[in-house]
Amino acid sequence: MPEKEIACAENRIAFYWQAALENPSRFRLYIWRGNPPGFIPEALALVTALVMFIPILYVLVRGIQGGWDRWLTLLDTRIPHLLWNTLSLTVVVSLAALLIGVAAAWLVTRTDLPARKIWAWLLALPLVVPPYVGAISYIIVFGPQGLVRNLAGETPFDIYSFGGVAAVLTLFTYPYVFLITSAALKRFNLNYEEAGRMAGLNHLQVFRKITLPLLRPAMGAGVLLVSLYTLSDFGLVSMLRYTTFTTAIYFQMGSFDRLSAAVLSVVLILITLVILWLEYRTRGRQKFVQDAGTFRKPLPFSLGRWRLAGLLGLGTVVAAALALPLSVLAYWSYYGIARGALDGRFLEYTSHSLLTAGAAAFFCAVLALPLVYLKSRHPSPVSSFYEKLAMAGYALPGVIIALGMVFIFNSYIPALYGTAVVLVMAYTIRFLPQAMQAEGASLNQVSPRLDEAGRSLGYPPWQVISRIILPLIRPGILAGMALVFVSAVKELPATLLLRPPGMDTLAVRIWIEASEGFYDMAAPASLLIIIVSAIPLKWLINRF
Amino acid sequence: MKAITLKNVKKEYPGCSVPAVDNLSLEVAEGEILTLLGPSGCGKTTTLRLIAGFERPDQGSIALAGRIVTGPGRWIPPEKRKVGMVFQDYALLPHLTVGENIALGLKKETRGRKVMEMTALVNLQGLENRYPHELSGGQQQRVALARALAHNPVVVLLDEPFSNLDTDLRNYMRREVAKIIKAAGTTAVFVTHDLKDALAVSDRVAVIKDGRLEQVGSPVDIYRHPETEFVATFVGKSTILDGVIGPDGLSVKTAIGTIPCAHTHNHRPGRQVKVSIRPDSFELDPAGDIWGTIKETIYGGNEIEAVLEARTTNGPVDLQVHIHPEEYIREGTELRFHVLPEFVAVIDL
Repeated sequence: MPEKEIACAENRIAFYWQAALENPSRFRLYIWRGNPPGFIPEALALVTALVMFIPILYVLVRGIQGGWDRWLTLLDTRIPHLLWNTLSLTVVVSLAALLIGVAAAWLVTRTDLPARKIWAWLLALPLVVPPYVGAISYIIVFGPQGLVRNLAGETPFDIYSFGGVAAVLTLFTYPYVFLITSAALKRFNLNYEEAGRMAGLNHLQVFRKITLPLLRPAMGAGVLLVSLYTLSDFGLVSMLRYTTFTTAIYFQMGSFDRLSAAVLSVVLILITLVILWLEYRTRGRQKFVQDAGTFRKPLPFSLGRWRLAGLLGLGTVVAAALALPLSVLAYWSYYGIARGALDGRFLEYTSHSLLTAGAAAFFCAVLALPLVYLKSRHPSPVSSFYEKLAMAGYALPGVIIALGMVFIFNSYIPALYGTAVVLVMAYTIRFLPQAMQAEGASLNQVSPRLDEAGRSLGYPPWQVISRIILPLIRPGILAGMALVFVSAVKELPATLLLRPPGMDTLAVRIWIEASEGFYDMAAPASLLIIIVSAIPLKWLINRF
Repeated sequence: MKAITLKNVKKEYPGCSVPAVDNLSLEVAEGEILTLLGPSGCGKTTTLRLIAGFERPDQGSIALAGRIVTGPGRWIPPEKRKVGMVFQDYALLPHLTVGENIALGLKKETRGRKVMEMTALVNLQGLENRYPHELSGGQQQRVALARALAHNPVVVLLDEPFSNLDTDLRNYMRREVAKIIKAAGTTAVFVTHDLKDALAVSDRVAVIKDGRLEQVGSPVDIYRHPETEFVATFVGKSTILDGVIGPDGLSVKTAIGTIPCAHTHNHRPGRQVKVSIRPDSFELDPAGDIWGTIKETIYGGNEIEAVLEARTTNGPVDLQVHIHPEEYIREGTELRFHVLPEFVAVIDL
């Protein structure tokens, strides 16, 4: 049955058209591939998908309606500069992260470097340091009033420069490339490389002609994550006083020029779409399917006298991305706690963070279920469409979602504007895709035959879900909740824009204290966020 | 009353030019074991899933124990059909024990008794508290079968039940599963592409090709008297020859001479037909009329499968033959055969 369905995939679209024209009453059956879901799951999925998509749609509409004059003025004045700033940063950070990530992945998976397992962990760990927290530690050390200047009398470079921004951002985003590439290298079918050696290629040629091209999909996926992150980052660039689209939108909103903010958001959304499209285009044409083959451990490549250089390189990366921020924050935390940073207000910020993030984690876990259920159990163009709608918030920066929420709640639901509800909803829209991915991966591991077994034993669909599916995907639900929780605790721009007056969270306090130079006050909260971020590390790493 | 009645059932998948199940009508008697046999992609699994209610037919009706479960304007969901299903991968819930798996969906009052009864039936006493991953493949299959039978289903459906077992266990489980189903007195429908599975477990076999029913009959019927060329060649090996019914009505005139035939469908003499001759029908005979040279041999231990290039007045004809393994045969050996009538069947043109 499945082979037959796959063999028929080619003329499917034509078939739907024909079916729709000939017999509209059966259209629903056909677009669900003969297997339509029940009313309740479909209604839940549809409503969720629409709610996820409306804020973004609203920003787009407002931006396009912004008026010719505003568009022309912005195109004339701000947009060229912002485009240059944003794109040059994205390109430089992506390339630098690619270089570090791939080199590190190769060194820890394929060479005879000592303690490779420990290195692999240390190199992945910077993922738990939110980039704006990393930026604070770099300002503390290399800033104009920083440690280095106090000791040496001058700073070796200006941290508030393009180079400084790009370097710090690279240090906290390369783990994406590193994790995806090393996962791909571990799965790599060695027969391809051996075939290359048989054909007379030397080590370097094998790496260039076989290994590297086959790693291309993994590298592309890593670079995609890094570049999307760079486009969406607000905390780090604002700390280092660099202007990109996100900061421009944020400050435009701060001065209540929401329509200009919407216009800039439209441009940023377009850039994001172009990047997604570019990645899709380059990947689409070269589809690599590696047969798993039989797994063999590769013979480690002997580095010889390059071993020291390799160790030195990895050591520098770990020192810069992990040891430096952690030790600086630990030192300032100690100093801050001694001066009473852990007071009642600190507890209050912490509880605000935990409550809002916890609520978002709960809503994401619940709302993701109907969507992933439809996608996995009723695969069809319709369920894919719902999924894509719900995923729209994923690639987009938090400021844009915040802007959409401001528009909608201001215009239609003013009673709720300025309450925690708006904030939790923004988190949910932004991070629902993380829960969907975790739950979806988990559900795809549960064979649909188990559902059918349940049905044939007398369970109606809702009992199949509650008695068979939910117990089996519980790890995935928990993983998704943990991922959302951590992302929400770290989230900065939407929190700054949407938090109710007086309801500061840890992330907000870090940003405010650090902007004003009270590093001893920012450090304990930063350290706490890093510790919380480490909770779902296992799932984070397994995702790649 | 029939346990299962399929009437003109048709199922198309969107975008497919050929229906997966095409106008299929079939009846299964109460207590009978029927096997749907056919190559992969022939629609046999779809038929099973239509009976179970996991797919909806586009046309036709299905009745279980006299109750229409799907038909024009009628749809009974799988959980209300009283159908037991044994899946190819067994579909045991990994987080539940053997006992809990068997108890799934049973009422509280009957649960304990039923689990005991079923573990006894499938011979798994003492393993109730094990988890599926702690069992062997054969034991997992017994659990799946026990779980399906625990509900006293109208019919048990088994989808390729033996395909995950190695040869020895497979032979053993064929007997075991058939025995358990007969002991439970349940009607069963198997799906398989394996001829030996089908012949070993079934009361009747239904051969399916491209969603259409080719032939239904007892294993012996299907093997001895195939009615179509597809059945003749899919159910075991066969040589297909053109011929004309002889004047006595019990022989067929072909290129390799006049062949005695026990199964001529009472066609009148002189009619053009095709005839299927099983390899077992050719017997070595130094005085036989059929002679030729061996072209290929495959030594199978208990028999030698060979292709004989027979000499005829119209040129050479390849024949599939079986030779007793004590013979010393190699390519180029010249041999003579005669034909036994038992495994010769006339196929309708």
